[in-house]
Amino acid sequence: MDEKYSSILKSVQKPGRYSGGEYGQTIKDLSDGRVKARFAFCFPDTYEIGMSNLGVRILYGALNREEDIWCERAYAPWADMEEKMIEHDMPLCALESGDPLSMFDIVGFTLQYEMCYTNVLQMLKLAKIPLKSADRTNDQPIIIGGGPCSYNPEPLADFFDCFSIGEGEDMLVEFTKLLIEEKAKGNFDRQEFLHYAATKIKGLYVPSLYEVTYKEDGTIGSFGPIYPDVPKRVTKRIMKDMDKAYFPDKVVMPYIETVQDRIMLEVYRGCIRGCRFCQAGMIYRPVREKTPEVLCRQAKCLYENTGYDEISLSSLSISDYTEIEKLTTKLLEWTDDKKVNLSLPSLRVDSFTKELMEKIASVRSSSLTFAPEAGTQRLRDVINKNVREEDLFRAVGVAFDAGKTTVKLYFMNGLPTETADDLLGIPKLASDVVHQFYINPNRPKGKSPQVTISVACFVPKPFTPFQWERQDTVEELTEKNEYIYQNVTDRKVRYTHHDPKTSHIECVLARGDRRLCRALEEAANRGFHFDAWDEYFDYDKWVEVFEATGIDPAFYANRQWGFDEILPWDVIDCGVSKEFFRRERDRAYGEITTPSCREKCSGCGANKLGGERTCCPQA
Amino acid sequence: MLPAGMISKENPQPIRIKFKKVGNLQYISHLDLQRTFEKVIIRSGIPAWYTMGFNPHAKMVFGLPLSVGCQSVCEYLDIRITEYMTFNEIKARLKTALTDELDVIEVYEPQMKLTDIGAARYTLTFETRGACEDLADKAKALFEKPVAMEKKGKAGVKEIDITKMIKSLDCRYDPETDRIVIDTTVSAGQAETLNPEMIVTALREQLGFLSEDILTEHYSIMREEIYNLNGEAFR
Repeated sequence: MDEKYSSILKSVQKPGRYSGGEYGQTIKDLSDGRVKARFAFCFPDTYEIGMSNLGVRILYGALNREEDIWCERAYAPWADMEEKMIEHDMPLCALESGDPLSMFDIVGFTLQYEMCYTNVLQMLKLAKIPLKSADRTNDQPIIIGGGPCSYNPEPLADFFDCFSIGEGEDMLVEFTKLLIEEKAKGNFDRQEFLHYAATKIKGLYVPSLYEVTYKEDGTIGSFGPIYPDVPKRVTKRIMKDMDKAYFPDKVVMPYIETVQDRIMLEVYRGCIRGCRFCQAGMIYRPVREKTPEVLCRQAKCLYENTGYDEISLSSLSISDYTEIEKLTTKLLEWTDDKKVNLSLPSLRVDSFTKELMEKIASVRSSSLTFAPEAGTQRLRDVINKNVREEDLFRAVGVAFDAGKTTVKLYFMNGLPTETADDLLGIPKLASDVVHQFYINPNRPKGKSPQVTISVACFVPKPFTPFQWERQDTVEELTEKNEYIYQNVTDRKVRYTHHDPKTSHIECVLARGDRRLCRALEEAANRGFHFDAWDEYFDYDKWVEVFEATGIDPAFYANRQWGFDEILPWDVIDCGVSKEFFRRERDRAYGEITTPSCREKCSGCGANKLGGERTCCPQA
Repeated sequence: MLPAGMISKENPQPIRIKFKKVGNLQYISHLDLQRTFEKVIIRSGIPAWYTMGFNPHAKMVFGLPLSVGCQSVCEYLDIRITEYMTFNEIKARLKTALTDELDVIEVYEPQMKLTDIGAARYTLTFETRGACEDLADKAKALFEKPVAMEKKGKAGVKEIDITKMIKSLDCRYDPETDRIVIDTTVSAGQAETLNPEMIVTALREQLGFLSEDILTEHYSIMREEIYNLNGEAFR
């Protein structure tokens, strides 16, 4: 390691974030000319969070599997490190080689949540790469984005050269190979390349190839490609057969503790449920499962190659996996003997059973988490969270039977059609869960229950039935939080809530169009970073930025959007049709639930994308 | 080592692993190192002896903990194995589960107890403004009379004379690299331990070492060898 860099690490917190050198990292020899393209995969948050991301683990492996591509990693330096880097004029470097990002061919950012946008720009600044696509020269890296936020890439349109829409395993390799080919021809011109790539690579969105006009009322007047050969809409990519899709057989092993410091076994993609507020449940459709045989083989291989003693079965709603019984049984055949624990990150109350709980080794934690999301059955029907009170009581009963005493319940406030009764239902449901503890004859004796309610603010997201909904203002959400607080009278119930101010900015960025780029650029100029972190998020400064750049945040967050409006994200086709979202929105207001994909196909449209081991009808 | 047939879960064989922790790995804390080795033991496939309790894990005992920012070519880890495996095989398996900067040096049967550790030898290398033979002499002279420094302990801050814990200290100027190099043996172990960073701090405070920009002035510390209470090389 460079002595100067090493010297700086002696003066920052958690230097293990920046030291690299992990077991399992990929190092390639640059001297023999076999590596033709260098890819810097950036996660715009701390090392601990970035290293925990399953998508990064997969794509790092998928890119490095190619002999002519070397993919390295970079994370957002924490404020103390950032300060040192600026003070000593040190550019942001990739962990593996220690080379500055500015000398890479491609710099990719995974966009997992809106509040990391300022970190993206901060990382570009630290890397000394011009923020705007239009200002970059031919020898500077191509900046590509991906991940869930790229389904509405418009607020970042000026900064990114292109976006990878959908699942990137194949697409990023194809894109990088095309770049290698085009660079080999000589006289490389980045704009020509991007245009060419947009016509060749499916799922590639190049914002500079589209023109947007606005109406007097501020809504979009027109949105379309500048050239006839560029697709009018970009359809997301999916891996058709998850059994055959690449899954890494090793992991870069962090030395310092990370958020998900365990094997993450991806069981299936998509979700059969269709909760109307949930973006993930829509954009990852159609459901595609892996078989237990493949999963078991992947788990064992990862165990041997990593030494992790915990396997997390990862997916949006693990108990909906059709072969969960077979999978857990098959895994337990060897994990028990090897002292390996199984854990499940997400549980639905309606499928939480004693049998399942006995198989997962949550022995270490005495707490279980469920997400009723709303306080009354009426509102749960509106959001299509098909969970009934009886299901919750049965599920907590199983937990109490097993000696658990703490339960965490997730809710949202500010949901469409919400009334005071719905808000009152939140503390009431929590108290009812406390009551369930005391009437349970098998409850752990001599202990008292603790029920924590955690209330998030509803953020209407693109590609959901609620994408047109008005978000409550910060004031309204704050009042609602206060109202819930006043009605928590049970001493066994603890109440926490999210900050409405963060949720408001998140909504603006989530539904923004490309006019927001100027606000983000101003935020970057003012040194914004780590807005997903309470210690750095400053609402008043955001308000100042919007004022300085002539952006009305209420236009994006607190307005009921018209159903016939051109939406900034209409340029992206996530598989699920706008008609379906509209239908679901109307059913929500009619308090009508929609069955899960497995019960009955609701014709969302995602089956047109194909896929194996799915419950979708053939397109 | 015990004969193959005599090693079992009930009668595990003690094994000592000597390893190095250099380069980037100097920034990994002792706690993180312990967590890392738990995984290293699993992926190496060594038949390690596990504790029985509620949360079973491979039983590991480390020698002298190493401070963050300090490198070492003489770290020790004791484990026990429940099945016969040659030292060479264990070493080879560990090698595949480690990296260049955290690597196994030797595997053998412990000859001394970890509690018998009494001293450690370090090399401290300084790239500092005005490095010359004269400065090296001054640095050596500094530690020839008492050097009182504040040490933060559990019972608050107390003043100690660090030279009482310095068994030997030699200082020279290396004209080829323009660096000042200190070779010192200090107390280390259960009774008392001197963190070599204290020597760096003394030089910084009293002779103005490393007072300029951290990019042009830096230092490194390498733990070279560990000794027992009698001053013999640790085995």
